[in-house]
Amino acid sequence: MMIVGCGAMIGAVIRYWITSIYKRMQWDWLLATLLINLSGAFLLGLLTNHFANNQMAINFGGVGVLGGYTTFSTFNTELLALIDEHRWFTMGLYLLLSYGGGIALAFLGLKI
Amino acid sequence: MTNLRNYLSVAIFAFFGGCSRSLLSQWLPISGIIVANLLGCFLLALLTYYVIEKGIFADWLSTGLGTGFIGAFTTFSSFAVATVHLSQQNWSAAICYFLISSVGGLLMAVCGFVIARRLGKEVHS
Repeated sequence: MMIVGCGAMIGAVIRYWITSIYKRMQWDWLLATLLINLSGAFLLGLLTNHFANNQMAINFGGVGVLGGYTTFSTFNTELLALIDEHRWFTMGLYLLLSYGGGIALAFLGLKI
Repeated sequence: MTNLRNYLSVAIFAFFGGCSRSLLSQWLPISGIIVANLLGCFLLALLTYYVIEKGIFADWLSTGLGTGFIGAFTTFSSFAVATVHLSQQNWSAAICYFLISSVGGLLMAVCGFVIARRLGKEVHS
């Protein structure tokens, strides 16, 4: 449990760091979470594929770091904010890119 | 200084968020991630539109709770990998898993938002 917790600390700090850069640069904030979730899904696929027998790597890197790095709640709260602002096209595009891209990249990670 | 305090807060809260998710998925092997994700969507919307909007907590505390605890409690990577795994065994299970997470997550966020706005009005009147 300590291993998962420490991994999650690292993952969440990297996520916070990336989001802060996007905010400071005044880039579109949606792109930060999209980048985080897509890269995290791909990396978890890779990790699950290549370290299936290494429980320590799965717990630390997968459940901990990548679990803490990617986020489902921020993604949905951002979708909600887009609905609230009536930005329907952006909302649809963000939803499609996140789910389509995330699942496709996880699949790719599991294959290569 | 504020920056460092926020980073520390995110790290410490994320420790507990990650551990809670892990415990939940040990207890409920497949649905644990769904429960964590749906609950997290509700809580983050409530936090964003009530606690943060009204400035109820200090900045470092709401950042720690939102980005740290709830952010680490929910996860996108396990959801994506689990959907692919399920689709290789059983298509209908994968579609159910995907729909419950995606539709449920957004609905739970909407619930959190509606409750936050109601609470906000009560405070004002």
